[in-house]
Amino acid sequence: MTAALQATMLGWAWRTPLGAGIGEVMDRLYAGQRAVQPNPRFDAGTYACSVAAAIPGEPRAARHARFLRRMGAYAVEVAREALGAAGIPGSARVGLYFGYGGLRAHWDDLMPAFREQQADGADAWHRGLALLHPFWMLRHLSNNAHALAAEELRACGEGATYGGANAGAQALAGALRALAAGAVDTAVVVGYDSCIEPETVVEMAAHGLLAGLPAARVAAPYARAAAGFVPGEAAAAIVLRRSADAGPGHARVQALDAADGAHGAPRMETVRRLLAQLAQGGELIDGAGWAHPDTDLAERAAAAALAGNDALLCCTMGALGQLGAAAPVVQAIALARMLERGLAPPIAGLRDPAPGPLRPLTTTTPTGARAAIGISLGTPGLAGAIRIER
Amino acid sequence: MKRVVITGVGVVSAFGVGAAAFYDGLAHGRAAVGPIRSFDAHAFPVRVAGEVPVGAIDSAWIAAHGLPVDGAVLAACAASGAWRDRKVVFGLLAALEAWRHAGCTADDAPAALSLALGLEQAFLDDFAPFVAHGAIDWRGEAAAPASGIRIRSDVDLAARVIARALGLTGMTYANASACAAGGLAVAHAASLVERGAADIVLCGGADSMVNPLGIGGMARLGAASPRSAADACRPFDSRRDGLAVGEGAAMFVVESEERARRRGARPLARIVGHGSTQDAYRVTAPRPDGMAARRAMAQALRMADLAPPGIGYVNAHGTGTPLNDVAEARAIRDLFGAHADVLPVSSIKGAVGHLMAAAGAIELAACLLPFERDLLPGTANNVHKDPQCAIDVIGPAPRAARVDHVLCNSFGFGGQNASVILGRPA
Repeated sequence: MTAALQATMLGWAWRTPLGAGIGEVMDRLYAGQRAVQPNPRFDAGTYACSVAAAIPGEPRAARHARFLRRMGAYAVEVAREALGAAGIPGSARVGLYFGYGGLRAHWDDLMPAFREQQADGADAWHRGLALLHPFWMLRHLSNNAHALAAEELRACGEGATYGGANAGAQALAGALRALAAGAVDTAVVVGYDSCIEPETVVEMAAHGLLAGLPAARVAAPYARAAAGFVPGEAAAAIVLRRSADAGPGHARVQALDAADGAHGAPRMETVRRLLAQLAQGGELIDGAGWAHPDTDLAERAAAAALAGNDALLCCTMGALGQLGAAAPVVQAIALARMLERGLAPPIAGLRDPAPGPLRPLTTTTPTGARAAIGISLGTPGLAGAIRIER
Repeated sequence: MKRVVITGVGVVSAFGVGAAAFYDGLAHGRAAVGPIRSFDAHAFPVRVAGEVPVGAIDSAWIAAHGLPVDGAVLAACAASGAWRDRKVVFGLLAALEAWRHAGCTADDAPAALSLALGLEQAFLDDFAPFVAHGAIDWRGEAAAPASGIRIRSDVDLAARVIARALGLTGMTYANASACAAGGLAVAHAASLVERGAADIVLCGGADSMVNPLGIGGMARLGAASPRSAADACRPFDSRRDGLAVGEGAAMFVVESEERARRRGARPLARIVGHGSTQDAYRVTAPRPDGMAARRAMAQALRMADLAPPGIGYVNAHGTGTPLNDVAEARAIRDLFGAHADVLPVSSIKGAVGHLMAAAGAIELAACLLPFERDLLPGTANNVHKDPQCAIDVIGPAPRAARVDHVLCNSFGFGGQNASVILGRPA
């Protein structure tokens, strides 16, 4: 197995449950804020998990709106902003690498076609499928956000859309390979996912992953009382170039992904192997923060094997909720800002950390770290790891 | 860079289960698009598909195909709802065939998996019990996992089932780039091996939209031929009026030539070049000038270190839609110049339909036919040549020829383009 590839981050943008501005969200992370609230997307009062971390507001009006659902619209927005921030025009040397965790039929869009259906599918066309919107297929196209971003950005280089809960890590890794191979000169990497929709909440609750308490009582990841995570959502984009082409003063990123076939969380041996492929050094860890005592402890042990027992442990997803495929891209942006400012934020809501390796942060803490590691987990048996270097 | 070869192939198609059925169908110039039988489609505007010849998939059908997998693993797959999803079953069958064909054993379990996946479809019987008063009543879902109902369609299910059945422990990549996904998944596998990031990769695609929602959605979009006839898809024919939905899977074992030689595996083809571009044009239509498609092919040629005359056959994306075929023909003509006059081109979509995310994979499988049997696949239903498609389109019957390099195009909705070049094995 070869070592992880590396590239330089030149532009970024995100939509998170704590806001859309980079500085604004970072300030809230440093203030220890959590976005957890009663699920604002639907009435989840009777569900096993009634809380969520949701992106406030709605996507901006766009001419492509008819082809996109909400998260796809956010994905196009952040891709546009990130490339703009990098000051790079679209061209045949700009590639797009999208990771989307929500590749599924969305029931709300389908209700006009479904409400009169019978379980045996009899006369399905006249019972409602004839009412499907002609663009339904395009709105659910697996790569529609990718396609529309390409059109808008005039990005004509290589491209791929990856699927699954660690699709953001796959997209990052794919972009790094393309840059290393010279297939593109600039790679726009976008991760987007929402875990707060009804079907996802039901699925995750059935796996015993979600916090089952009201917002005020949800324990933080890595707390002794941790009892499940808060579902979240985000869209995030970063722009990468080969380090030799990017000039000094920018953060560098490595990314890897893995899958081990486990039904729930990946085996921690998988995470340990993944981390071992990253460059050494990483005094700050942004943990996956599943808020399950056994998983949290095993993750800390895996990270400590790379970073040492005294490395600082923060958790972006403790504040923003679990972000699925968006997690590694959000982590890349957040960790780059943390390294730049020399400050690590507290784990939002953490007062009584569970014992174990690493130093879970309960307050904002100065750090001279030059490198940081982000870990993300997904089901079934999926993992992603990034390393950010100043 | 390491040289990459294909050492195993498995196919499930409208011709039946197994690569032999697929190659025999192509070699005899047959077409397998016909009336949909897996559900009652009589009232649908689209009533034909390139459907794998099986109705509802059940354990008896699974057993009849003799899956050489541990019973406990099969039981776990069944419990996860895998058998209810046709594409998962097709993907598993193709993967097992490719794995066996390549002579892989438990020693190859660290293989990576690079799989093309399409839009998850909803299944009527998944949701119907939960519809109440015009809305989904999610509160009834507490028992769902236990009853095998898949509420959140699981994009990774096919990958998970394949990995579990074969005991694979390597990286998993799920490419969801629409109709280009199959080509991209195989190109991705090749790139992993080329740079030593993986020793061996099981790759390909599996997809099925032959269900009420898939067929209904495609009919409403207007992409499918409105004629419910066996010749619904007529690639490069002047009367073409849309695609025929297909289903199935094609999987390959890809590894370095050196590794294959070391373990005594017979290379079926070399993967010598691949390229990928984006139209950046419209989500609903390809670039009319075919320029981005042309660049994808040119990239693949460059990587293969071939001049245009080095290509002996092009397996076109050839959907049979008015816009795609003329744009693709233009791209081929533009890139290959005078060589396009004598460069045989065909599309197998008239024979097996459009396999969507798996299209690029099954069409790469078709590209092994020239190496295995010195035959170029024909273009079913291509009878009236379209003067706007000024290339040498092979008619319905296959053409005998010995060629050393073939190029396979996959162009996705949304303008993602992938081209892969295979070379005759040494």
